[in-house]
Amino acid sequence: MGTNDQKRSLPHGLRLVALAGAAALTLTAGLATPLDPAPQQARAADDGKKVLTVAVAQSVDSLSPFLAVRLLSTSIHRLMYEYLTNYDPKDNHAIPGLATKWEPSPDKLTWTYTIRANSTWSDGEQATAEDAAWTFNKMMTDTGAATANGSYVGNFRKVTAPSPTKLVIELKKPQATMAALDVPIVPKHVWEKVSDFSEFNNDKSFPVVGNGPFVLSGYKADSYVRLKANKDFWRGSPKFDELVFRYYKDQDAAVSALRKGEVSFVAGSPSLTPAQAESLKGADDIQVNDAPGRRFYALATNPGAKAKNGKKFGDGHPSLLDQRVRNALFRAVDREAIIDKVFRGHAVEGEGYIPPRFQDYFWKPSADRKLAYDPAEAARLLDQAGYKKNGDGKRVGKDGKPITYRVLCHATDPNDKAVGKYLQEWWGELGIGVRLNCLDNVTDPWLAGTYDLAFDGWSVNPDPDFVLSIHTCGALPATPKDTGATDNFICDKKYDELYARQLTEYDPAKRADIVKQMESRLYDLGYMNVMAYPNAVEAFRTDQIKSITTMPAKAGNIYGQDGYWSWWSAVPADSGGSSDNASSTGVVVGIVAGLVILGGLGAFAAMRRRATAEERE
Amino acid sequence: MTADATPALVEDRQRAAGPRVRKSSAYPRYLAGKVAGAAVSLLAVLVTSFFLFRLIPGDPVKTMTGGRQVSAEQLAAYREEFGLDLPLWRQFTDYCGKALTGDFGTSYQFRAPVVDKITEALPNTLLLTGTAFVLYTALGIILGTRSAWRHGRLGDRVNTGLALTLYSIPSFWLGLLLIIVLSVGIGPLPGMFPTGGMESGGEEGFAYVLDVAHHLVLPVVTLVAVEYGQTLLVTRSALLDEMGSDYLTTARAKGLRDDLVRRRHAVPNALLPTVTLIFINLGRTVAGVILVETVFSWPGLGGLFYQALSVPDLPLVQGLFFVFAAAVILMNTLADLVYPLLDPRVAR
Amino acid sequence: MTTTAETAPSPRALARQRRRASVARFWRQYRSERAGLYGLTVLALCALLALFAPLFVGSDVSSVTDAPGRPMQSPSAEFPLGTDQFGRDLLGLVIWGSRVSLLVGLLAAVLSVAIGTLIGVTAGHFKGWYATVMMRVTDWFLVMPTLVLAIALATVMSRSLTTTVVAIGVTTWPTTARLVRAQTLAVETRPYIERAQALGGGHWHVMSRHVLPNVMPLVLAQTTLIISSAILAEATLAFLGLGDPTVVSWGGLLQDAREAGAVSAGDWWYLVPPGIAIAVVALAFTLCGRAVEAVLNPRLGVSR
Repeated sequence: MGTNDQKRSLPHGLRLVALAGAAALTLTAGLATPLDPAPQQARAADDGKKVLTVAVAQSVDSLSPFLAVRLLSTSIHRLMYEYLTNYDPKDNHAIPGLATKWEPSPDKLTWTYTIRANSTWSDGEQATAEDAAWTFNKMMTDTGAATANGSYVGNFRKVTAPSPTKLVIELKKPQATMAALDVPIVPKHVWEKVSDFSEFNNDKSFPVVGNGPFVLSGYKADSYVRLKANKDFWRGSPKFDELVFRYYKDQDAAVSALRKGEVSFVAGSPSLTPAQAESLKGADDIQVNDAPGRRFYALATNPGAKAKNGKKFGDGHPSLLDQRVRNALFRAVDREAIIDKVFRGHAVEGEGYIPPRFQDYFWKPSADRKLAYDPAEAARLLDQAGYKKNGDGKRVGKDGKPITYRVLCHATDPNDKAVGKYLQEWWGELGIGVRLNCLDNVTDPWLAGTYDLAFDGWSVNPDPDFVLSIHTCGALPATPKDTGATDNFICDKKYDELYARQLTEYDPAKRADIVKQMESRLYDLGYMNVMAYPNAVEAFRTDQIKSITTMPAKAGNIYGQDGYWSWWSAVPADSGGSSDNASSTGVVVGIVAGLVILGGLGAFAAMRRRATAEERE
Repeated sequence: MTADATPALVEDRQRAAGPRVRKSSAYPRYLAGKVAGAAVSLLAVLVTSFFLFRLIPGDPVKTMTGGRQVSAEQLAAYREEFGLDLPLWRQFTDYCGKALTGDFGTSYQFRAPVVDKITEALPNTLLLTGTAFVLYTALGIILGTRSAWRHGRLGDRVNTGLALTLYSIPSFWLGLLLIIVLSVGIGPLPGMFPTGGMESGGEEGFAYVLDVAHHLVLPVVTLVAVEYGQTLLVTRSALLDEMGSDYLTTARAKGLRDDLVRRRHAVPNALLPTVTLIFINLGRTVAGVILVETVFSWPGLGGLFYQALSVPDLPLVQGLFFVFAAAVILMNTLADLVYPLLDPRVAR
Repeated sequence: MTTTAETAPSPRALARQRRRASVARFWRQYRSERAGLYGLTVLALCALLALFAPLFVGSDVSSVTDAPGRPMQSPSAEFPLGTDQFGRDLLGLVIWGSRVSLLVGLLAAVLSVAIGTLIGVTAGHFKGWYATVMMRVTDWFLVMPTLVLAIALATVMSRSLTTTVVAIGVTTWPTTARLVRAQTLAVETRPYIERAQALGGGHWHVMSRHVLPNVMPLVLAQTTLIISSAILAEATLAFLGLGDPTVVSWGGLLQDAREAGAVSAGDWWYLVPPGIAIAVVALAFTLCGRAVEAVLNPRLGVSR
């Protein structure tokens, strides 16, 4: 037949491999090229452009500020749009944003904001009070626009803009949080063209008009979010030319990317694990930032779910209605062990409701009231409450059955599972069973009240109003069919009175005092037992970022700040910095390696073939 | 034992033997039958995708609004918006009606049409699976052929042993090890490949292609390593069956070189049952890639599916499930259609 | 069939004798499959290890409060494989984890093969609409992407070992059903079935006395092969976080390792042993399955 059966021809196998390789490459090229929607000016040249790359994992839910609720999306909105006020990076107090000044009327019901004249939208138009008024009014009148931040305008009666620099908000009742309206103000002339706010995701045409320190210039779902520095930002241009959030769905991948310089910063979700932090501490050019966190990590107890109309629902264990039982359970939780073993030191032992990072509002129990770890005392309390051990060493409930609590845990949070294992053993010693119910999505049993205890945690804002409000009777659902803002159905008269008082108290010191009384009440009730304040453990490359502002300035965190301080203030390191170098050498090395592998395969195939031929002839 | 004399591994041993076309039936009729069968299967998948995921505990509306104060009226408004207020059978007929026109509804969490989310991620998954598929099929066939030809010798034993071992390795574990060794770097070995994702972002033109190819290496190697074994074993045993045939003995007796006999006679015939397997693999890999996508942060369908399940983002989950199953059905049907055309022994 | 000999022992004894003989023949042939023997040896060792684990490691290894070491210690004389994130001895955990992994693999495979056999035998025995419907259902399960379906099932149910077993069992049976049905059809064409029916043997009698013993070897081979994939599937589900977080299994250990950040921290000792354990056991089952298959169907020529 042909000439193919001659020895010197390309071995059959090798040819196939080559063919497959070529096909694969063609496939790559063919499929990949039209996939690239990235605006090309982004990498117009390697002219020493300074790019700050941040590894993220959370998907963007929406880039419309009216819809976005996730941390990443709202952080991006902070960068894209200026809010009325901002928080001082040093101590969290409210400072000017789009508004330069704000003051209440004597009757506390009308707030007047002065809007700055030196903020322009990235398309050149002036940002005015009219934009702010339009944004708030839209949220008050269009349910689609109220999706994300509707709660901020719930108490607004009327919002007007008498002049371009003057915004007036009239309230239904006094509200102390008017300097903490975390609502992105959008340009009216762009957004009034949107027809359906519940569907518009703001991710189709770039750059997106904004007036924040950065301008959104490109987005590809689960691949990257790209922002360009806004050189005309009123507070001054950011030092980096570009900010890229790049996706690493796997936290280990993100950490490895940091090691290799593919990214400049990694925060983890919610933070790096102790093992990752330990290993990064020894690495060159990497700094681990182990900052007191803004979260608390608690064990919530089901107080018997009920609605505002008095209807009870859910099936929380009745024994938990006894305060002695709740206190006993918490006394059997060795918080020091949790800090030491689970967090490996990257957390602070939990006390009051609000983390010590917010010094103004931090409260802790006095030594004699503290529910310290004491299993013997816990056993005594349970005996006293009438829950005695049976023959098998199990404590029995009033219904005569051994007690087993269902503990709701987040399947995606390793800490929940780890602490859960400890609870099983600690409470097992007490004679109480624990069934860990770990779910990807705990919302359903949570809202239905079909749990006994649950792992709970919130990020606390500089203004604590929100985290306080979720334990008031007012936050309960109207009927069992509604959803309330309540966290775990706590409803306590005394607490509610204090809550109402702090909301109308416009004097910061007095308000802080009331807040502390609320925390004290919450501690005694024992429905919300704070076990720890986890640190924010994050890391960045010092050869790419020379300096960066943490919040609070002393021992603060970088990712997920209240404000745009970290990325706005970050100063590029002189040594080249941008991650491009690393990746292009990587490409070269990778291609060389690929060729070596292909060559090896070819040689292997050739040798095999020769061997066959020799045997035959 | 069974009439199916092919693959050695659990899955698809039945199907890989290929369909049997009865001598009397004409090809067009056979074709019509297969296409109709596929249509029925697709409908069945549509039905399953609707009902299976309704069983996931969780009220999507409550999940979406979780943590925020929402009145019963607002919840009702959301239910109406997503059509969740209708009786189940109405939801079902609406869903089917729309699905037939290619509309899978709006994703709850992304508030974008499901079809858009899928078309966004599908090319990425196809790129990964397509590349891996080409490579592992080629590798499987080449090594399988060699193995069968030298069967019983050391080379064969090493070959099959390696294939079986790699086949027994969990793909996600292999992926993690590859990341540690080749991406993070171990000891003196520098990290050579990106740890995850599909692109560095911001590249353009040829640099972009190179960049994506660079990101593609490790996930593809992982997929090829765990997948090629099956093709190898099937090819090998099919060829072993074939090698007993008289015509091969004749061909060799005529003095034709081994290589030629193998290439011209044995392989083409032995490949017939493999063809079916190849098609089926192609369909299955689309869904099977979930793990590798998770480990390598590949922005494909797998990650999307996993994310959608936890909400549960019903429209997105349903749409993705349909795509996964449809890929398998489509490829199975193609295999059924192609097989009789290839096999001269099957009368048409 | 020819049980009319004068000095014949009771039919039951005869049957037993015949069965013993065939088992002996099977074993003789199996012994010649070297790979199968390796697999069997490894499995025997693993089974012994798992069975007697309580004697030398004890359930204390999984206790977090009494963990003997510091978290994430690298291998040392005291902890040959290092410690996990709680400071527990990893060697002990891997041994202890074998119990759950093997058990889940075994149960899932038994469930899968049981469903498959039931459907296969009945669909082969009763023809007509029942068979048609059953084979449609089988075909339909066959095209479902197994992993996707298993993930969906595991999400639908609560996290427990039962869930894992069911999710694997319910998604992997169709191949068995088709194989068993084909075999049943072949068996039922044999003349003695007709004779048995003529003698008044009902459906149940035919299926349990004649068909089932004949498909058993096939079922055995199938079980061995499915255990291998079931163990992999268990690891996969656990790795995706769909397993029961409170029990120690190999897949669960891998998931723990990943969540603790062992990959980027370079703590290979946390990651490598469970993976190797999974691969070795899965490989051993595959080798046994192939050997059994080769004995039963020499024409396959798989592992010669």
